[in-house]
Amino acid sequence: MSQKQTQGDIEKAVKEQQEEKQEQKSPSGFRIFWREILKDKLALVSLIFFVLITVVVFGASEILDKAEVTRVDPFNIYQPPSDEFLLGTDQGGRDIFGQLMIGTRNSLAIGFLVTLLSGIIGVVFGVVSGYFGGHIDNALMRVVDFFMVLPFIMLVIVFVAIVPKYSIWTFSLIMTAFLWMGIARLIRSKALQEKELDYAQASRTLGSSHTKIIFKQVLPNITSLIVVTMTLNLAANIGIESGLSFLGFGFPKDTPSLGTLLSYTTNPITLEERWWIWLPAAVLILLLMLSVRNVGEALKRAADARQRRA
Amino acid sequence: MSKSLLGKFLFVLMLASMLLIAACNSDEGSDTPDDGGEDNTEDTTDDGSDDGSEDDGESSDDKKEEDTDGLYSIEDFSTSTSNDGELIDGGEITYGLVSDTAFEGTLNWNFYSGNPDAMVIQWFDESLLTYDENYTITSDGAAEYEVNEEESSITFTIRDNVNWHDGEPVTAEDWKFAYEVISHPDYQGPRGSTVGFTLLEGMQDYRDGNADTISGIVVEDEKTITFNYERLTPSLLTGGIWGYPLAKHIFGDMAVADMASSDAVRQNPIGFGPYKVDSITPGESVTYVKNEDYWRGEPNLDKVTLKVISSSTVANALETGEVDLVDSFPVDQFPDNSNMEGIEWLGDIDLAYTYIGFKLGDWNKEESRVNYKPDEMKMGDVELRRAMWYAVDNNAVGEKFYNGLRWAGTTLIAPSHPAYHDDSIEVPTYDPEKAKQILDDAGYKDTDGDGFRETPDGEPLEINFAAMSGGDVAEPLAQYYLQQWQAVGLNVGLLDGRLLEFNTFYDRVGNGGNDDPAVDVYMGAWGVGYDVDPSGLYGPTAMFNFPRYESEENTELLEKGLSDEAFDTEYRQQVYSDWQKLMVEEIPVFPTLYRSVLIPVNERIANYDISVGSGVYLYELGVTSQD
Repeated sequence: MSQKQTQGDIEKAVKEQQEEKQEQKSPSGFRIFWREILKDKLALVSLIFFVLITVVVFGASEILDKAEVTRVDPFNIYQPPSDEFLLGTDQGGRDIFGQLMIGTRNSLAIGFLVTLLSGIIGVVFGVVSGYFGGHIDNALMRVVDFFMVLPFIMLVIVFVAIVPKYSIWTFSLIMTAFLWMGIARLIRSKALQEKELDYAQASRTLGSSHTKIIFKQVLPNITSLIVVTMTLNLAANIGIESGLSFLGFGFPKDTPSLGTLLSYTTNPITLEERWWIWLPAAVLILLLMLSVRNVGEALKRAADARQRRA
Repeated sequence: MSKSLLGKFLFVLMLASMLLIAACNSDEGSDTPDDGGEDNTEDTTDDGSDDGSEDDGESSDDKKEEDTDGLYSIEDFSTSTSNDGELIDGGEITYGLVSDTAFEGTLNWNFYSGNPDAMVIQWFDESLLTYDENYTITSDGAAEYEVNEEESSITFTIRDNVNWHDGEPVTAEDWKFAYEVISHPDYQGPRGSTVGFTLLEGMQDYRDGNADTISGIVVEDEKTITFNYERLTPSLLTGGIWGYPLAKHIFGDMAVADMASSDAVRQNPIGFGPYKVDSITPGESVTYVKNEDYWRGEPNLDKVTLKVISSSTVANALETGEVDLVDSFPVDQFPDNSNMEGIEWLGDIDLAYTYIGFKLGDWNKEESRVNYKPDEMKMGDVELRRAMWYAVDNNAVGEKFYNGLRWAGTTLIAPSHPAYHDDSIEVPTYDPEKAKQILDDAGYKDTDGDGFRETPDGEPLEINFAAMSGGDVAEPLAQYYLQQWQAVGLNVGLLDGRLLEFNTFYDRVGNGGNDDPAVDVYMGAWGVGYDVDPSGLYGPTAMFNFPRYESEENTELLEKGLSDEAFDTEYRQQVYSDWQKLMVEEIPVFPTLYRSVLIPVNERIANYDISVGSGVYLYELGVTSQD
């Protein structure tokens, strides 16, 4: 009786403690992120810029008619920027400005989707693997190893050739299939540490289910790491999409993206003389990746008390 | 590819691939086309660059004003260099082989297969035959000929002073030897399918191994040879006869299978052309020195260096003088480079056309012939095809996408064959209202209100259009055609939603006989041979008959064009004029664009002509200043 009571008390105490922790920790975690960004002017400007661009391109591409933008007009080929065409036209007489808007939207959408999908797969894989350890860990990590040795670019090329018509979704899925391993390994190593900590052990001793420990206790403790990694991944993923499209393995040419706009530079004359076709896209890629990265770095510092500036 | 093969073996071409196109008309550097009929303006008018005095060094990038409308016309280009200065002794030039890959290095006319190799070979070896502007054999070359109509034979006499580079005479035996090697069962190269081989008497026996020699080839004496044919056809004189001897004193002891990989082909190639090979860096460059014993006379240049140059850097290389002359130049780069300092532009009508084809059947592998079945195919209705021709604006395409350097095509025999191209034939031109009218009359109406027309039976009509990637223009061009068809209410979409890579494209269109049923309409290009005969492209047993079209009238006309009577040029013209009309009525394919070739040449180069039958030969090429 008394034993039961004690156990009940302890459980209650632990629960209270956890609740307290949750109440304090998660809001304070985001507050720390926020404080760090406010403190770092570069990161703040970057964040504002990124949000602004995102809102503008998503808004603009809702208004713009894709069919109209990608309409070939032989009577307006290679027009330099003018009132009619803010950023000139390409070799099909198509408006670069409209393409830039829709293209950035497509590139960003893919960046977000890939980051999100690969993040979800990677986190689940990593946490399960790290938490259970032993044979499960071994088996899951071999799967990760298998995916890591696959030649990414080659397989993407093959997939792109096989899938007859690809959209943002199929393209994101193809990329996700090869981009979740890094995050899985990172999360696994962190989960391995976490599960050895007293709170996890105690919770287990008290009979909590694995699911509960993983998702309610271990996961919240590594949120900061997840946020930081995914932010930095976002920058990389935007770059990867542009790279593949540039090489001709991303979107088909009639679907604008930052990469397809950049790929016009394979014509040396365009590179030298018709800057309006590719320069805005190039600058935009650079700025987007840099700003996401700046934010990511600030978050990274916030997640690690030793590096914090705020 | 050499001319004799061209008659049959036609290149499938990427829309913007000048490399492959160049293959077709460049087999012989010495005799190149002069399109008889069209123009012979001596001066290059609007390509600028010839009004500055000497052009050394100063590379001011001043842009000259473009033409008022930014358009060019091939008629304004000369085929020969205008430089009439005094040639200097001991000149040297660098020749750019424009290719994005290395040349293979099979350096013998009898064995090579790629165009880059042909560009290397033309400097040191040549054909015994030369051609006039109508692509007919003349007696101006290294061999004179005489046709004996009664015996269906042709006798050639090789000139006495025609000698191989090692001093041995070029003999009738060498020529016969080339035929024997090419027809040998162990021969791996692509030659031997033209009428010059197939119509020879005794060819079948030799190929089957029943005879040691080809009985139809008779060596009369050291320099005289007679070919006996089963029957004569005009194609023999327009590229059917194989004019390249093979040096028997060198290759005579080799097994046929080993010849193509031997030193005499790869490292120390031999010929009887104006230059001799001095050294070869495999795949990259070749240096030549002059052959002082060349039969026409001593060449003007001491040394020629050939180097491979990529199509993206060729313009810069010309501007800096790194190369003086190139084998081909991407036409789409011309408008940006038309004012290049120190460069003269030569131009001519290309032996090629771009076209849109309709699949009207598939390939019957068992019988090796087309299986024409219009009733089962979406594009089987000729009115639908005619409407699609009316719906496209090829003039705008030529002017806007190619600055007038390609122009709307009319019939399936291009103006590069002025004697046979019939420009009096009326063909559909851009008229969307008429296209709509034709579709309405034929029963193609939008019955379900989706904005697209349905078939007369009320079935939805979805047409798949296959187009090739390659070049900047390929994609907007394909989109433009789609738009125009959509504008008249036809639901035409890009096959797979994207452009197909060159090899995939021709595989699916039917290059291997496995026609992809998903392809309904496609856009391709043909390079045509010297021989005007189109049966290799539209005959009922031609694999390259991608539309898989066949009709009695078509077959009959094609046969007439190759008959004895066709030796009469007027008769042949009439036959091909009828054929062109038939194609405009039946529309298995319709030509979209005729094309031009442009060759930039350094201004110091003289005596160069890119046309066939100009009478200007490679040995006369010279320079008027040191650099």
